Amino acid sequence: MDYAHAESTQSLASSDGDYIVGKGEPVLVTGAGGFIGFRVVERLLELGFQRVRCFVRSSRGRSRLEELARTCGNDSRIQIVTGNLLSPQDCMDATRDIKILFHLAAGRGEKSFPDAFLNSVVATRNVLEAAATIKCLKRFINVSSFTVYSNARKGRGRLLDESCPIEQFPALRGEAYCFAKAEQEQMVMEYGRRHGIPFTIVRPGQVYGPGNEGITGRVGIGTFGIFLHLGGSNTLPLTYVDNCADAIILIGLKQGTDGHIFNVVDDNLPTSRAFLRLYKRNVGKFPSIYIPHWASYALCYAWEKYSECSQEQLPSAFNRRRWNSYWKRMNFSNKKLKQYVGWTPRVRTEEGLRRFFESCRARRGSA
Amino acid sequence: MLRIAIIGCGKIADSHAAQIGRIKGCQIVGVCDREPLMAEQLAKRFPVEQAFSNVGELLDVAKPDVVHVTTPPQTHFDLAKTCLDRNCHVYVEKPFTVWAAEARKLIDIAKEKELKLTVGHDDQFSHVARRLRSMVREGFLGGAPVHMESHYCYEIGDTGYAGALLGDKRHWVRRLPGKLLQNIISHGVARIAEFVSGDSPDVMAYGYTSPALQVLGETEIIDELRVFIHDANRTTAYFTFSSQMRPGLHEFRLYGPKNGLLLSQDQETLIKLRGARYKSYAEKFVPPIVVAGQYIHNVATNVRTFLRNDFHMKSGMKFLMESFYRSITEGTSEAIPYREILLTARIMEEIFCQLEKQRAGATDEFGLAAGIESRK
Repeated sequence: MDYAHAESTQSLASSDGDYIVGKGEPVLVTGAGGFIGFRVVERLLELGFQRVRCFVRSSRGRSRLEELARTCGNDSRIQIVTGNLLSPQDCMDATRDIKILFHLAAGRGEKSFPDAFLNSVVATRNVLEAAATIKCLKRFINVSSFTVYSNARKGRGRLLDESCPIEQFPALRGEAYCFAKAEQEQMVMEYGRRHGIPFTIVRPGQVYGPGNEGITGRVGIGTFGIFLHLGGSNTLPLTYVDNCADAIILIGLKQGTDGHIFNVVDDNLPTSRAFLRLYKRNVGKFPSIYIPHWASYALCYAWEKYSECSQEQLPSAFNRRRWNSYWKRMNFSNKKLKQYVGWTPRVRTEEGLRRFFESCRARRGSA
Repeated sequence: MLRIAIIGCGKIADSHAAQIGRIKGCQIVGVCDREPLMAEQLAKRFPVEQAFSNVGELLDVAKPDVVHVTTPPQTHFDLAKTCLDRNCHVYVEKPFTVWAAEARKLIDIAKEKELKLTVGHDDQFSHVARRLRSMVREGFLGGAPVHMESHYCYEIGDTGYAGALLGDKRHWVRRLPGKLLQNIISHGVARIAEFVSGDSPDVMAYGYTSPALQVLGETEIIDELRVFIHDANRTTAYFTFSSQMRPGLHEFRLYGPKNGLLLSQDQETLIKLRGARYKSYAEKFVPPIVVAGQYIHNVATNVRTFLRNDFHMKSGMKFLMESFYRSITEGTSEAIPYREILLTARIMEEIFCQLEKQRAGATDEFGLAAGIESRK
């Protein structure tokens, strides 16, 4: 794959005729200091939104947004609220008069189930409780993840789209993030039913870009001292962070998305093998061993069984559910996203990867 | 069948539920958290039939024999007292209580009501810690301990617990008198308390905020601590807590008049430090070979334990729980002697008082320190 520097000039602003709110109405972004949240805020400002309320937990997130406000030259368009979504009062304060709520805050990177649950599900419940009291709320956009899908019953190479079943027993995946995200979605749907909150669920694939420099586990893992390449010829469900932010905004703003679920993946997705080759070429070489799919499945099966019979002496981090979700060959579609909201990826995959590798190189150099 | 309940369904409660599940003759009959969703998620995953958000209801409906208190430390005293008042045996996660006086009171209640009480100093019951205890009892040191060194380090990253703590000025850990230290150092201090004689050793503490944290704008959290302890018999101890030193050790050195022992919790190794010296150049060549042999022996022991499926990360917790439950069902002695629980609480309180005085000294010579004294 060669790099092409052509970036789409498509602008979200050109298609704002059917937005459900005006640009002067207040919108809230939780997790606004995060990897995707920050880009969502940037794009909302680029679109001309005049009242973007940004909810952040840490002072680091706040200072990033303050810097953005300074560079925009118009501080008044951004309102930064520091707080904790575990505080119902903070949620009430943050959601006051809000018309659109982009909920991106989540317990990412948590390995502990209770911590992930607390920061994703309990926090979301608090936001929903607050949202239920706002009569003017027009849409709650819950940003979830591809991780919730269970591919167990799908044949290899089949299409994974929004109609696919999600993990029925997410706790058994051995992955706190999956458990928390699946429970979070259930919570959003329940509040939608019970309180009539208009909601939309967004499930991005693997979001990549500067600021998130790791190699996704869908390519492989480095847990055992050497990088085990598990993805092989699988297509990676990548979405560049700016494209993902565009999708989230369009899903939040456009008419006709209430109650729907949208997957977000870019076009022209690379295979795991191509990604790894490009990474080594552009960032740095490191040894890796390819594990064929049948072997990785057998390893996951053996690990799962050993974990069971040893009463989790080795935690069930590798199991068949995880294999099905991460390393089974699937195809991905963004057809619904394009059809409903007219999204097209602003940054082509080649260009996204170029920026990503450049950022990885810079990070490696500074380490 | 012992009926067990857990109050507090955060991260450490997962470890409790998992280890309880490995012990025969007991059953989790209820879990409780003031946040109902947290109680439900724990009940769903382990699985437990009943989840509660009210402690009174848990005790009334589930009727546990034993309650594990795994909430933030500020609530330990009230919850443990409530459970003791309702005739339940109580396992309290570390740190036992915020203040030593509270620890004293809980122990008095337990004694008066003939109930059992313990604290989650489970590191002291790992395989390697039990081997150390056994060797000390067999007289390997050649007498009472002369000196101890306990390292208990904690790597502060920017994610998870530490990230949440650093990013949130209202985090519950910040409201503890000893802040981060109070929530973490119990394991390292308890190791010393086990071998210190008397009830009130002298403590000298020095602590500061590391430059790495200062760069992040942190001024409240003390993450570097050095402590010197000595008892009436002139047994001395150094305690080190550090977030910055590498490797981040969890290590205990115990020296007697004849020999010493070196325990590494991270690697689960125990090395015998021979007191006698070899002659001349033999001292340069023989001891390294002997120590290498000991490390190989440790590896073999760890592999055997792993193959027996008894090398879980929290195997010390399981052992402590089993000892605690046995003390209830068979009337054996306390899993952790009450003297040690109290001594650990006293040493920690003294450390935090001194740190507070040092901090207050910079601006207000006695004001803040007087505040902490009055709260004790």
